[in-house]
Amino acid sequence: MMPAERELHSPARVMLAVGVSIALSAVVLALFSKDIGSALEQFFLEPFSNRYFLGNYLADAVPLMIAGLGVLIAFRSKNFNLGGEGQLYASALAAGVLALHLPAGTAPFAVWFLAALTGVLTGAAIGALSGLLKAVRHVSEMISSFLVSAIVINVSDFFITGPLQDPASNFQTTRQLAPKFLLPRILAPSKLDISIGLALVLIVAFMIVDKRTKIGFELKICGENEEFARYCGIPVAAYQIAAMAISGGMYGLAGALLVIGPQGRVMRGFSSGLGWSAISVALLAQGSGAGIVPAALFIAFLGTGSDHVMIGSGIPSEIVSILQAVAMFFITARSLPRIWKKRGQS
Amino acid sequence: MSGTAAVLADILKYTIVAATPLLFASIGGLFSELAGMLNIALEGLMGIGAFFGMAAAGLTGNVFIGMLAAIGSAVAGSLLMGTVTIKFKANLFITGLAINLLAGGITAVLSQWWYHTKAVVAFTLPPPVPAFPAALSQIPFVGPVLFSHSVLTVSAWLWAIVAAFIIKNSRHGIRIQATGMNAQAVSSLGYSPDRARMAALVWSGVGSGLGGFALGVSVSAFVPNIVSGRGWIALVAIYLGRKKPLWIAASCLLFALSESLSNYIQGFSSIPPLLVLALPYAVTLVSLIASGNKR
Repeated sequence: MMPAERELHSPARVMLAVGVSIALSAVVLALFSKDIGSALEQFFLEPFSNRYFLGNYLADAVPLMIAGLGVLIAFRSKNFNLGGEGQLYASALAAGVLALHLPAGTAPFAVWFLAALTGVLTGAAIGALSGLLKAVRHVSEMISSFLVSAIVINVSDFFITGPLQDPASNFQTTRQLAPKFLLPRILAPSKLDISIGLALVLIVAFMIVDKRTKIGFELKICGENEEFARYCGIPVAAYQIAAMAISGGMYGLAGALLVIGPQGRVMRGFSSGLGWSAISVALLAQGSGAGIVPAALFIAFLGTGSDHVMIGSGIPSEIVSILQAVAMFFITARSLPRIWKKRGQS
Repeated sequence: MSGTAAVLADILKYTIVAATPLLFASIGGLFSELAGMLNIALEGLMGIGAFFGMAAAGLTGNVFIGMLAAIGSAVAGSLLMGTVTIKFKANLFITGLAINLLAGGITAVLSQWWYHTKAVVAFTLPPPVPAFPAALSQIPFVGPVLFSHSVLTVSAWLWAIVAAFIIKNSRHGIRIQATGMNAQAVSSLGYSPDRARMAALVWSGVGSGLGGFALGVSVSAFVPNIVSGRGWIALVAIYLGRKKPLWIAASCLLFALSESLSNYIQGFSSIPPLLVLALPYAVTLVSLIASGNKR
């Protein structure tokens, strides 16, 4: 019997999402650029053309790997954290403020550790709030995490433009961290620093916990069948709160690492879409920890390419949102309707 | 009229103005909610409606054509979302998120292309058509609060009434409700739950489009991030209103009051504006928590 619809399996979906968003980016560039040749070159080749661009591109992928992993962990238990923008922003600010106030003589390693910890705890606390509301009041974690994030963004904006504003700067930003407090760079003069190592370690650690421990298994059961999980005596509420806390904490870590790394300060609008891009990364990874790396590299590539055509050809970098949206449509579609198949059949 | 009364009248008048986009969108979102779909794309659909509605109104100088464009573009967005979700069996929340991303991207790119700016695009529109005779708006206090409004503002309330009627009394509305309660029963009766779901998404597109357009008209411009969370606030209004149109309207008024107050406070107090701007979200969050519990 012929199936009415063609089921799309995970690798096919990923290929489609990647292929279509690349094809679409070429179409968009053709539409909006005056010189299609150079726009294509800026988008597809320039990010890899020298050590500086390549390093910056890899640096952009680091927060996506970390935050994307957090989103993926929350997905495991069917928790959808839509507050990443605020979690990342507020955590970066908390980590930045801490680093700015540590005595100048503090050992850099202590600064990095404390800043990262502050970021994780801030993000985890904000994320856990939505998990708690879901567990206790059955409030949709999507809506509550979004609203909390909106509040947190306004409050962070206030601190950056008010009490924490760098008086010497024309930008709306905090003061700059002392250079010795910043993570050591690799591939200088680019922004890439040693945090890429931490990102990879975290991904491997997740893969081990996921495959080898009870926690990974129980988290998955919570997502697949809540009733069954309860029946088995798994503390579902605790997993809901933990999943949101981990997701928030990873956003927080990503934010903190940006402050003690490439950014060195917290500017207004710091998160700049990273919260949403991390969701694209997790979706593209299709639940696989190892998949996070190529997924983050791909989403970072769309962002970097868009930045390059904005600088080179004046095409708004917001095209990246369109490309990501289209990738999302394809990654989540589980089947193609029959009409697409007819051609091949008859 | 004394000073305090004038201020109060102003706050209340603006409350009704600020409730307009929320009411349009939340009543639209009610359809998808009743069909069993939490539509997180209201935010993006409002943005699409605001942009295309204002662009068409600015181009033609005709507010009615702008309104149609707002509805058309947001419905197109909801159809895209519905097709991918229902026909291609995709996850509703992910397609909703994709619509929100798409809305931000498309409006920014087209704004750059058509108006050579990603910042505020101002439009000169014909003056709003008053819904009530001028004599009524002269009544002290009540006049400015209730009878000074435009046809667009009043039509939000008509939209809510018509929607309530469709939901309760038409076969179409009852099928949408039934789909949300028990889709299998609907399909065993020979009706298609998928069709009801798609129709419900279209209704939410209509409401969001109108809501976004009302936002644009209220400032006579398209502003980046013009919706700024109102789609989510509209979603919470559905829950706080327990999915009943009348109570949803009341919830919208509550959220609009918090917006109106935060606008007022910004002008007259020493509390930093950025903190005041968080007030509507905070009120919404508290309402969401209050409306939670067993569903």
